[in-house]
Parts: sequence; C-alpha cells; structure tokens
Amino acid sequence: MEHPLIDLVNISKTFDNTMVLDDLCLSVKENTFVTLLGPSGCGKTTPLRIIGGFEKPDTGKVIFDGQDITNLPPNKRQLNTVFQKYALFTHMTIAENIAFGLKIKNKPKAYIDDKIKYALKLVNLDGFENRSVASLSGGQQQRIAIARAIVNEPRVLLLDEPLGALDLKLRQDMQYELIRLKNELGITFIYVTHDQEEALTMSDTIVVMNQGYIQQMGSPEQIYNEPENAFVADFIGESNIVPGTMIRDELVEIFGARFACVDKGFGVNRPVDVVIRPEDIDLVEPEKGTLTGVCTHLIFKGVHYEMEVTTPDGFEWLVHSTDMCPVGKQVGIHVDPFDIQIMNKPESEDEEAVGVNE
Amino acid sequence: MNDSKLKRFFQDFYLVFVLIFLYAPILTMMVLSFNSSKSRTDWGGFTLDWYRQMFQSSSIMDALYNTLLIAFISALAATILGTVAAIGINQMKRLPRSIAMGVNNIPMLNSEIVTGISLMLAFLAFGISLGFKTILLSHITFCVPYVILSVMPKLKQTSRYTYEAAMDLGAGPVEAFFKVVLPDIMPGVLSGFLLAFTMSLDDFIITHFTRGAGINTLSTLIYSEVRRGIKPSMYALSTIIFLTVLALLLITNFSPEKSPASGEKEKAGRSRRETARRILLVAASFCVIAAVSFTTYSHYAAARSNELYVYNWGEYIDETVIEDFEKETGIHVIYDLFETNEEMYPVIEAGGVAYDAVCPSDYMIQKMIENDLLAEINFDNIPNISQIDPEYMERSRSFDPENRYSVPYTWGTVGILYNDKLVEKLGAEPPDSWMDLWDEKFSGEILMQDSVRDAFMCALKGLGYSLNSTDPDELNQAKDLLIRQKPLIQAYVIDQVRDKMLGGEAAVGVIYSGEMLYLQELAEGKDFNLEYVIPKEGTNLWIDSWVIPKNAKNKENAEKWIDFLCRPDIAKRNFEYITYATPNRGAFEMLDEELQQNKAVFPDWDSLTNAEVYRYLGDEADSIYNELWKEVKSN
Ligand SMILES: Nc1ncnc2c1ncn2[C@@H]1O[C@H](COP(=O)(O)OP(=O)(O)OP(=O)(O)O)[C@@H](O)[C@H]1O
Ligand SMILES: [Mg+2]
Repeated sequence: MEHPLIDLVNISKTFDNTMVLDDLCLSVKENTFVTLLGPSGCGKTTPLRIIGGFEKPDTGKVIFDGQDITNLPPNKRQLNTVFQKYALFTHMTIAENIAFGLKIKNKPKAYIDDKIKYALKLVNLDGFENRSVASLSGGQQQRIAIARAIVNEPRVLLLDEPLGALDLKLRQDMQYELIRLKNELGITFIYVTHDQEEALTMSDTIVVMNQGYIQQMGSPEQIYNEPENAFVADFIGESNIVPGTMIRDELVEIFGARFACVDKGFGVNRPVDVVIRPEDIDLVEPEKGTLTGVCTHLIFKGVHYEMEVTTPDGFEWLVHSTDMCPVGKQVGIHVDPFDIQIMNKPESEDEEAVGVNE
Repeated sequence: MNDSKLKRFFQDFYLVFVLIFLYAPILTMMVLSFNSSKSRTDWGGFTLDWYRQMFQSSSIMDALYNTLLIAFISALAATILGTVAAIGINQMKRLPRSIAMGVNNIPMLNSEIVTGISLMLAFLAFGISLGFKTILLSHITFCVPYVILSVMPKLKQTSRYTYEAAMDLGAGPVEAFFKVVLPDIMPGVLSGFLLAFTMSLDDFIITHFTRGAGINTLSTLIYSEVRRGIKPSMYALSTIIFLTVLALLLITNFSPEKSPASGEKEKAGRSRRETARRILLVAASFCVIAAVSFTTYSHYAAARSNELYVYNWGEYIDETVIEDFEKETGIHVIYDLFETNEEMYPVIEAGGVAYDAVCPSDYMIQKMIENDLLAEINFDNIPNISQIDPEYMERSRSFDPENRYSVPYTWGTVGILYNDKLVEKLGAEPPDSWMDLWDEKFSGEILMQDSVRDAFMCALKGLGYSLNSTDPDELNQAKDLLIRQKPLIQAYVIDQVRDKMLGGEAAVGVIYSGEMLYLQELAEGKDFNLEYVIPKEGTNLWIDSWVIPKNAKNKENAEKWIDFLCRPDIAKRNFEYITYATPNRGAFEMLDEELQQNKAVFPDWDSLTNAEVYRYLGDEADSIYNELWKEVKSN
C-alpha cells in the first residue's frame, strides 16, 4: 500500500475549555478526494486549519509526505486553502488577487497572465480581470477564491465549504469542474462540507464527523449502504432506524416479525438497531408482507412518492417508491435481506458519539 | 397650495440661520485680518499688512515651526504606535479587548486640563525638564487613543482570514501584513494620522502645561498675545490656521473610499478617484514637509549655543530689539511669554524651566524676594543703570527695599478715562476724584476694572486709605462702598474698557495709563475726546522690572540683556512699541516734545504725591481680599 500524503496522528484541540477534536487520526492518500462531512459546528474546519498551519494542535502530529510539519508556518507548506469566508483581498482587482501567490514566488509575468486567464476560464468568469472584489456576488467571490488557490498548483488543496454560496445548477457544474481538476492536475483534495449529497457525489473517501470524533470513514457506497451507527445512518440520506433483536446470524426480529438478513456475528438474542433505507422497502399485498400497516401520509416528490406507513406498534415507516399507495390503504412491508443493515446498539449518548473510533 | 413653498422657504431660512450662527464669528475674524485699522469695530480699508507682519515676526514663525514639527512627528509616532496597538487589541479575546478599549477611551474623555497637569507633574517628578521633547511626548500620548479609535473599525471589517490567506499563498508574516492587512486598514490609518495631526495642531491646554522655555506653539503664542487685546496679525494667523484645518478635513473626508458600487465603470472611476486622492495626499505631505524644512532652516540658522532664556509679558518688547541684541552679543535669545503675574509665579517657583531674565510687576517681585526666588543683580555689569531716573529706583524700594534685585522697565498709573461730550450731556463735571465714580449722574455709564486689587484700590483711595491696607475695618468699609456702587455700574470688564469707551458706550471708566497713547490715536476724528485724569486722592503707580531668578543658568547674559534694554536708544524703541511710560531718562529726552508733555503718559510728579505701589500683602490678606471681593461680586 502506498504511503499516505497527509497523516494526522492523534490530534487533539481544545478551545476555551471545550474539546473540539479528541485524538483524531486521519490518513489521506495522494490524489484522492477526501471529504469531511458533518453537521455545523462539529469540528470540520478545525482539522483543515491544522493541516493549513493556521492552528496548532494541542497534542498530536501532522505528517506531510513523510515529514513532520506540525510546527511549519502556513507559507512554508505545499498546500493551499479555499477559505470558508472567501478571504479575498478587497483592495486588489480580481487579477491581482489571483496573481498574489505567483508574484510572491516570482513567476514571470507572461506565465502569471496565462495562469490568470486559465483560472478565470476554469471558474467561468472570463473577462473579470479588472473588476473589484466588492462588485462580485458571493458565488463569484467564492469561485475567485478557488481560482486564486489552484493557480499555485499545490499538492493538496484544502476547501472549506467552497460551494456553499452557489445555486444548485452552478453548484453541480462546479462539482464536476473540481472533480475534473483533481483528475487533470493530480491534486489531492481535502474538502469540507455539511451537504451529504455533495459529499456522496464527489468523494473518493468520506469522513463523517460528529462532536470532534470520526464516526465512520469509507467510500460513498460504504457510508451510504453500510452506516456503522445510527448517527451516520441518520445523517446520510433518510432511513428508518428501528430497534430489533438479533435472533441468530442472518435473522433479525422487528416488532415481532422475523426478517432474513445477511449480517453475522452479533451473537444470539442481542438487541440491535436496524437501518432500512426508505427506497428499499417494497410495499406489497398485506398477506405477502412480513409486517402490515396502514398508509397514513402521501406526498409526490417528483422522482418518487414519499409515503408513511404506520404499523400496529405505532412506528411510522418512511417509504420511497415510484408506485403510489393511497392514504388509508392496508399494505404489507417487505425488505430484501441485503437491504437490511444491522448496527450495534449504543449503551449511552456518549458512546453514540464515540462510536467507531475504538 | 403654497404650503410647500412656504415650508421650503422656512427650511432654507433655518439652514442659512444655522450657517450664520456657526460661521459668523470666523468670518468676522477673517474680515478683521484684512482691516487696516486696528479697531475691532471700524473698517479702515483693505490691507495685507497683518499677514506681512505675521510672516516677518520671528516669534510667530518659530511657533509655526514648532507647531508643524510637533504635529508631524507626534502624528507619525502616534500612528505607528496606535496602529500596532490596535492590531494587538484586535487579536485579544473579548473580555480583555473590551477592557483595553475602555482603557483607551478614558484619556479621550478625561478633561484635558487634568491630562495636561498630570503629564507636567510626571515630567517634573521624573526630572525631565520641560521643553520641546516634553510637548512632543505629551502629544504622542494624547494622539495614540485617537489613532487606535480610527484604525479599530477598519481592522474589525477586514477579516482575519485575509491575513491567513496571504500566508497560505506563500507570503511571510511581515509581507502578508504590508501587502494585505495594511492596505486594507490604510484608510483608517490615514485618517488616524490626519486626526492626530489636527489634534496636535489644535491643542492648547496640554501644550500649555508641558512646554518649556522659549517653546511656543501657535496656540500658546496666540494665548499669550491676548493680554492687551489681540494684535490683528493674530487674526491673520488664526485665519491661516482655520484654513489649514479646513483643508485637512476636506482631504480626509473627500479622500474617496472604495464604494461597493458595481458595474464596469467602477474601475475607471475608482482609479481616477484614487489618483486624485494620491495627488492630494502627496501635495499635502509635500506642503507639510516644505513648511517644516523651511522653518527648520530658519530656526537652526539662528540657533547658537550661547543662550538666554527670557520670560516676558506678551507684546512687551519691540521684536527687532531682540534681533539686534542677538546680533550685537552673539547670544541666542529664547523668548517666552506669560499673561499674568499669577501665571508666571508658579512657573518660576517650580523651576521646570530655568529662565534667566523675567519681567514681573512690583508686588510680585516683592513676593519672589520674600520667597527667595531671585538672584541679586551685579550692577557692575549694568553700566546703563545710570540712565534710569533715580525717582523710579526710589519708588522701587517699596517692593525691593535695597534696590538689589530689580531694574525698572516700564511704569504707569491707573486713572479715570472720560468722554467729555457724554459727561457734559449728563450734566456732570469732569471727574477728578475716585468718589466721582459714585456719582448718581453717571448711573449706568461707569466701567470698573474686573480685578480685586484695582477695584479695592478705587474704593480705598476714595476713602482716603492706603491701597495696601490690611486693616479689616478699612477693607470692610471699602467693600460696602463697592457694593453701594454696583447699581451705578454698567459693567466690570478688563479689555473692553478701551473698546467701549471708543465706541462711546460709557462716560467714565477705570483704565491703565499704558492704553492712553493708543487710545488717543484711535479716538482722533471722533466727535468726542477721551481724557485721562489721575484722581486727586492718589492712585496705584505700578512698575514692571527685570529680575533674575535664582536658578538662572546664564546670569551674565541676563545682565547683558538688562543693560542692553537700559540703553536710551533701545528703551526709546521699546517705548514706541509698547507705549507704556519708560523710566529711562535718556530715552525720555529723545522723545518729541509733544509726547514728553502728554500728561496721560508722563504725569507730573506733583499729581503722584499720593500714589502708591502695590505691595504683596501676604497670603492671609490675599484671602481676605478675595473673600470680600466675592461678596461684592455676588451682591
Ligand atoms: N478560534 C476559536 N475559538 C474558540 N472556539 C472555536 C474556534 N474555532 C472553532 N471553535 C469552536 O470549535 C467548534 C468546531 O468548530 P469548526 O469551525 O471546526 O466547526 P465546523 O464543523 O467547521 O462548523 P461549520 O460547518 O459551521 O463551519 C465549534 O464549536 C466552534 O465554536
Ligand atoms: Mg467550518
């Protein structure tokens, strides 16, 4: 296995007596797209700032390409940042902003001019060279911030919610552009977002964080299909999380009904959490279903219908389907064994957060 | 229908009214600075003489130099200190930051006089002698908070992320600061600088307390010149100061900040305004530097190591006399002004500045002798002492019993000035007694001097007592007399006696004889005469004399100075300038006969038989006088 480009080793950080990162470990391989995903305030920006050199960890080390850079100042690091708040230089024109890093590195003028043109094209803002920062919209400023960072051809690009201010269309376009950039330039991306869809679309690896802990790390498919705890399951997409009992390997009991599944190794008669994605529930004739209930809610969502089916125990199942089931109709619930995800039940709130780290 | 028109009219009217209210005083001053007559009420034609006089006066040019240099250096230093401090404060956490800002605001809200006094005390306590550097330090001190205050909002506006972004793009901390942070907060820094510059230009109170010998800024100079009414060249100077401050304000306010206006024109407009601003700023700094270097040149061209520190009343010497003295002796004179004896005394007593020659009045000299502040003069070094009429040496004995400490410089009397036409109209006789000031016929037509000793002098003399009386009974009688006079009086005033009498606003007024020559000149061509009488009961004869403080560092130079001033030709020039009577016999003999005969200036000795010189009565008597005076004033 190739060695990682960036290695965060046992990083802890405390602000004003609150632990923001606790013993965080994270490896990022060269030329991958890693996304830190989590709710607002969960400590996504902080590790980014530690990698960028703007914040020193209380304990732990930052290893870059085999070297310890924990105490290296930001200007000596071979990486660039796109800041959450853009941080453009308001007293300079757009061209001067983009040229800033290159001028400091004493690049020739022709090279700089070329780069400015190229970068502006890349972010779809050709001809903006002489505009002032104040005359740009938030989305345009964000794109300039990206342009300003990439012209420096860093080995790692740190992006802190860089598409937050864009509308949906532009956001999708930029997502593709960023992926293309990554592939063309061979830059490693560390990307922060709280938008799970964005994370799922772009990333090679997603790191789901909550309260300063890594909850789960893996490919988008792993994260989506096999959430390791209720937090991840809840945060990534929509899901039905129900209490269940593992009867034995490959058999789980939910509300008294037994479902076949593919998970093993949870022991016998153990309480577990069961995750079932709404699109994985098939609504069938009542007599064919493993459970039966009444459809109590129906909304048309465009691609599919969203329905709620209430079973006799009072649980409301969220169901996505292209077939409609009218409100009040008695239906059966069927789930294929490989669509059932079994998770250990946390014993306390704390453990819920700590989760997988052990 | 016409309602809105009417409303508009009143709105405009109101605006004009407010503008007049705000600017009329300054306009008046500006107009007077071009008035060829010295009067404050009559227009005598247009002239630039006062401006010429201003530029030729070395004391004004020196003050200008000091003002500009101090303002420039202190603004520069305060800007650097303040900006650095603001950055530091901005980095602090919330609580310490608000504490720091609070601490920063206190000096600005603090009464300036308290700041001034405490700075002076601090300097004296640490043994720093007052002078140029103490003013500079004080100005830096009081300017820093203003710079912090004007930089702070800019710092808050610029996100700390721009600094980090610059570092991220490869700039070192210093480079990042100068390339990104400084340009961002530049408008704040610049306006902080200009604010500090104007505050320093403008400051009087703090400068007043922290300045030393011979150092005047424009404000302290103007202040010390007001003793006997302001010279019109001071109007000229004030006009120029006003215009300078106005120009600075315009530059600060119109130096365009980047507006967030959008569009393609933005860039062109911005760069045009930017260039205009740069040109303005460059021009302004060029003017400042040119002015500073010009004055520096003329200042140091004159500076020499052989020095003499002189402390004198404002407008109490012909300035060319100082220049001639410097030329003849090679001694560089550092010339400083005071306004009242009471202001001069603590300065000498504190010794923050070692003056070599001082010119106090009689009673104050006595107090200084009693408190051992004066050095004995070596009269061998003053051969011209023979030119002083022995009569004045004799009179001086009342405050300098053995003639060892003082050499008379000017003298005069206090008398009654009356308007002959008005007196006639009121059906009264021309006054010849202090008691005429209690004559009902003059009701509402009397001007009294607004000073304790002068007011009590009128009453005591009127009662036939000594004007140096400390007898409680006599003083109480005088007090009652003054209270009885109050309904008859038009006003207690100082300077305005002259102007009011010239304007024909009052019939009689108590006045110093020194004003007479000047008054008579101005009264020419009016349809009345202003006459001066010394009341028959006698009056106050005052003498201002040169003395040498005990802590003088250049005593021999001071004696040379005093000797020079006793030279008849020099004394004559000073008399012509000051117009106060000279005790110099040689000078007197050189005057026109008409002047020699002017009884207002040089009264007969016969009329002075009952005249007395004020004596220092001691602190206890002083406070009795003040108590009684308070009673009179509040009655
Ligand atoms: N400089 C700081 N001083 C004090 N507390 C801080 C500081 N920076 C971050 N924090 C705190 O640390 C926690 C994590 O902050 P961080 O910026 O990493 O969150 P985030 O996940 O990036 O949030 P968002 O999605 O809102 O940007 C927050 O509770 C925040 O208040
Ligand atoms: Mg963040």
